[in-house]
Amino acid sequence: MDASAPPISVRAAAPSRLARIEAVLPWAALAVAGVGLPLLDDSYFGVIAQRACIYWILVAGLNLVVGFAGQIAIGWVALLTLGAYTTAVLTAGTVTTEWNPFLALAVSGVVGAVFGVVVGLPALRLRTFYFAMTTLGFATIVTQVALAWKSVTGGGIGTAGPVFPWPFDPGWGFYYLCLILAALATWMTANIARSRFGRALVAIRDAEVAAEASGIAKPALLMAVFVFSGALAGVAGGLFSSLQSYITPDAFTFDLSVLFFIAILIGGRGSIMGPLLGTIILTVLPEFAAPLVAWSTFLYAALLLLIVLIIPGGIADLLDYKNRRPLERHREIVPRPELLARVLDRRSGGNVLSLSHIELSFGGVRAIDGLDLEIRPGEVHGLIGPNGSGKTTTLNVISGYYAPQAGEVRMGAAILPPRAPHLRAGYRIARTFQTPRLIGGASVLDNVMIGGTIDGQGSFAESLLTLPRHQRDEKQLRDAALQALAAVGLEQLAAVRADRLQHSELRFMEIARALMLRPTCLMLDEPAAGLSADEIRRLGALIVAISREGTAVLLVEHHADLIFDICDRVTVLNLGKVLAAGTPAEIRSHREVVSAYLGA
Amino acid sequence: MLESIVSYGLAVGAVYALIGITYNVMFTASRVFSFTAGMLGMLGGVLGALFITKLGLPTVVAFVLVLACGAAIGVVTEIVAVRPVLKSLEQHLYVLSTLAFALMVQQLTAIEWGTDAQPFPRLIPIGPGWLDQQFWLPLLACAVTIVGLELLYRHTLIGRAFLAIAEDSYAARALGLPEQRLRMASYALAGVIGALAGFTGAEMLLAFFGNQAILNFYGFVPVALGGMGSNRGALIGGLALGLFQQAANFLVGGIFAAVAVFVVFIVVLLLRPEGLAGAATARRV
Amino acid sequence: MPISAPEPLLEVSGLSSGYGKIGVLRGIDLRVGAGEAVALLGPNGAGKTTLLRAVSGLLPRSGTIRFAGKDMAGASPRDTVQAGLVHVVEGHRVFTQLSVFDNLLLAGYGMKRDERATQVEEALAFFPEIAAKRQDRAGTLSGGQQQMLAVAQGLVRRPRLLMLDEPSAGLSPVLVDRVLAAVARLREDGTAVLLVEQLIEKALAVADRVYALARGSIVLEARTDEPDLPNRLEHAYFGQDVNAPLAS
Repeated sequence: MDASAPPISVRAAAPSRLARIEAVLPWAALAVAGVGLPLLDDSYFGVIAQRACIYWILVAGLNLVVGFAGQIAIGWVALLTLGAYTTAVLTAGTVTTEWNPFLALAVSGVVGAVFGVVVGLPALRLRTFYFAMTTLGFATIVTQVALAWKSVTGGGIGTAGPVFPWPFDPGWGFYYLCLILAALATWMTANIARSRFGRALVAIRDAEVAAEASGIAKPALLMAVFVFSGALAGVAGGLFSSLQSYITPDAFTFDLSVLFFIAILIGGRGSIMGPLLGTIILTVLPEFAAPLVAWSTFLYAALLLLIVLIIPGGIADLLDYKNRRPLERHREIVPRPELLARVLDRRSGGNVLSLSHIELSFGGVRAIDGLDLEIRPGEVHGLIGPNGSGKTTTLNVISGYYAPQAGEVRMGAAILPPRAPHLRAGYRIARTFQTPRLIGGASVLDNVMIGGTIDGQGSFAESLLTLPRHQRDEKQLRDAALQALAAVGLEQLAAVRADRLQHSELRFMEIARALMLRPTCLMLDEPAAGLSADEIRRLGALIVAISREGTAVLLVEHHADLIFDICDRVTVLNLGKVLAAGTPAEIRSHREVVSAYLGA
Repeated sequence: MLESIVSYGLAVGAVYALIGITYNVMFTASRVFSFTAGMLGMLGGVLGALFITKLGLPTVVAFVLVLACGAAIGVVTEIVAVRPVLKSLEQHLYVLSTLAFALMVQQLTAIEWGTDAQPFPRLIPIGPGWLDQQFWLPLLACAVTIVGLELLYRHTLIGRAFLAIAEDSYAARALGLPEQRLRMASYALAGVIGALAGFTGAEMLLAFFGNQAILNFYGFVPVALGGMGSNRGALIGGLALGLFQQAANFLVGGIFAAVAVFVVFIVVLLLRPEGLAGAATARRV
Repeated sequence: MPISAPEPLLEVSGLSSGYGKIGVLRGIDLRVGAGEAVALLGPNGAGKTTLLRAVSGLLPRSGTIRFAGKDMAGASPRDTVQAGLVHVVEGHRVFTQLSVFDNLLLAGYGMKRDERATQVEEALAFFPEIAAKRQDRAGTLSGGQQQMLAVAQGLVRRPRLLMLDEPSAGLSPVLVDRVLAAVARLREDGTAVLLVEQLIEKALAVADRVYALARGSIVLEARTDEPDLPNRLEHAYFGQDVNAPLAS
């Protein structure tokens, strides 16, 4: 650690006291309203409030699936149905001995978790629309089974729901049970949202390629979310059966599924408060407009259409005052390469990234024809060539998106497994992309923190409960991200929504994200495109500084000046083969290279 | 018994196939999977019953009117729910806009037409028995549609323009093809096909607002299994689905037939996400 | 044809364009006279394809574009094509599922049937090689033949200005000559051509004038008969001042 490096001021990104009060206020208001509701002593309000709490327990979980992970799970009412019937049947004593309602509720949670996985599994293989359809089909199936399995569910006649014992007996007691569980659900989902898992979910949704490059494994994460959300839905179902006191299959309509789904979209994806308000609004609304009840689903659908067309960000966007404050017009990106030592934290010598005899064809076209390449630590290695020469394809082979038909890619002595892009992060290979991949709705800091996801130690469960390891992870990630942003010169923009940034700033942000991996090898895909001459100069200085810290840098570029200025070695590709390799001076005067570029 | 399984199965399968083709036509025109295919089928039945039974129009007039309504609603779908979201890069939005639109229409129907399934009038006095017209009308409609689409795509310039846009919309735009107008025309065509499916199938399925959800799913299964964009796959998948459903109905009863269909559907999709006959879309290197 | 005609066929002023937030072109000024052949050269990433797309309306843009005396502000690709400005895009993208003949028919979508039939035959006459394959599916053609088909598509509307984006890409030298010979014939017939090319020498052989584009701006404009052109182009490509002597 360089003792003479100036300390990073984290005050730029730490929220002020006023901002913190602002953030807590809505939650406090809701908590007060929730706890104080019984004082009104109106049982009508009580029932509505119970319903809202129960719906929110389900929606809180579904929010992670739909709002964060971006999976269009429309048929989630199926899990409510399963949870409700599980609790009702276990406590009714008709099929088994009478169970304790709390135990039955817990079992509902387990059933919900299991079927959450069943419903969610197709999401790993199927595209959006297909997956939406399977959830719809599943919802229909569950309702039909409930209708048909008369011996257990009572068929069309239905079955009675449980009555909870004191202090949660029907009335305000039960209300407090719902309120407590709703608060718990809120707390846990908010914890996930503010953890590396929540950020990873959003990354999968909005920037899947960048998520993969950062080492985020989609299947495991999605399954964890489906288990958790399913459990919440199951518990909500159990409570629902008690609320209704008697459940029949037609209590679980498609309309209900739509309501849950729309609550999340009205509220805004990636937010907790938004869908919470959305749920409350959608539960309460029909009660206050009696003639509207018949039209309620129509209005929900119309609202959904409006939201999609006009305010895709939902309520959360509307309430996001922070991000409407104007930004400084003439912002300059001033990297501070002296901070890189701390960011990169080089503890051991680097490794050589080598490609040997790579061959890759698409259909009948030879994209790469026998490529040998060596990128050494401490060097900036430029890769240039005319369009179609195979530059980006080479990057993609190293990244693991394409498997070569022959040859291998090694990091040091280890062969990199082909077609496993999310494993590259483990080898400390980081990259940026031709078009910046970002999560528009998240802050710059969150975007950069994505880069360090794999360094987190805490598990999903630990994040759910904000146990110490999770808190340690968060602090470390946050500090590291601020360091990285300071190194590239973007720390004043840490709290700003990423989609408000200029293109050039996004390029530097991608580099900050890549630096989070403390990469042994950094690959840059045309980072200078769209940058001004000044910015290109600063970019060049930054890249050189990164390499001098011991990182092997591979730079794919069109900008001849940048290449010749900063590269230690240059390889020229043409038609998938190496045309020439050497120092910039050698390349510049190499007749064949000049001809290839200019065309012979 | 066997005849009734076959005739009912093929007939309802033809309706599913037509809904699948409706999905395909909308998809190839816009690269958007629209939730409105089932809606169009439902409206074919409901509007048909409305025109013939409630308004007393002659069958042929009502038929033409229903198809015209289908076309009109197809165009409205394109304008309201598809065109605005094409410009957005967000993948999930178009799924939601067509879903919202379809839901609005469904609810409107439930409120105005009622939630009970109403009977649909007999269209032609042929039958009863396994040769009843309620069975072969959908099959006839299916055959006419398939042949008609072939003629359209092979022998008319607008049909070939549809194929061009489906293959490479960038090149089509650069060539000067009127992309927007062609997309609207595709959605109008999809509207006609969907309405045709609903009209000819309504004697079996009745005029029922709930048909939308049923047709949405069962019309999608042939597309998923046959490969999206493949009308041949939709036809085979639809007929096979109809027969399988009826056989399962007869053997194990309605509820478990539905479960059986769903399980087969999921299993096939998980094994081959692009469908049994579909190929992964060709890459442009 | 003299290029000092009162108003050029295509006049572009202050054109800026890009992809979303990524600005690629900055204040481009360019003109093409009636019947002229103009080459647009430049290194990769300079913005040549972006420039053609901006002119033909495939990309949103700011600045002025005047074609044949008309202001093309807000013109869609369809409007541009109907005005007589046709853009043959990069990568010989033809409709592989349709026949050669159908591909050409589509190029004339919206024309009167007889006129379209005549024009398709004329376009085919330019490329006898693919005329022989008129009923074959375009997917069965070789890369070079597809490129010829793409250029033929551009001819169906008998454009006043034809913009070609790297028609030689991926073609063998023989086919490249074939395609560029067609370009030369077009010029003789009075069609103006704006040709984006990687092969400098071949492009200079057919063109009257040349522009060099680098990093989103025009860095060189010259007539092809000016002296020392190849050298000046090399400097323009590699970022050095075109008027300064080559530093050794």
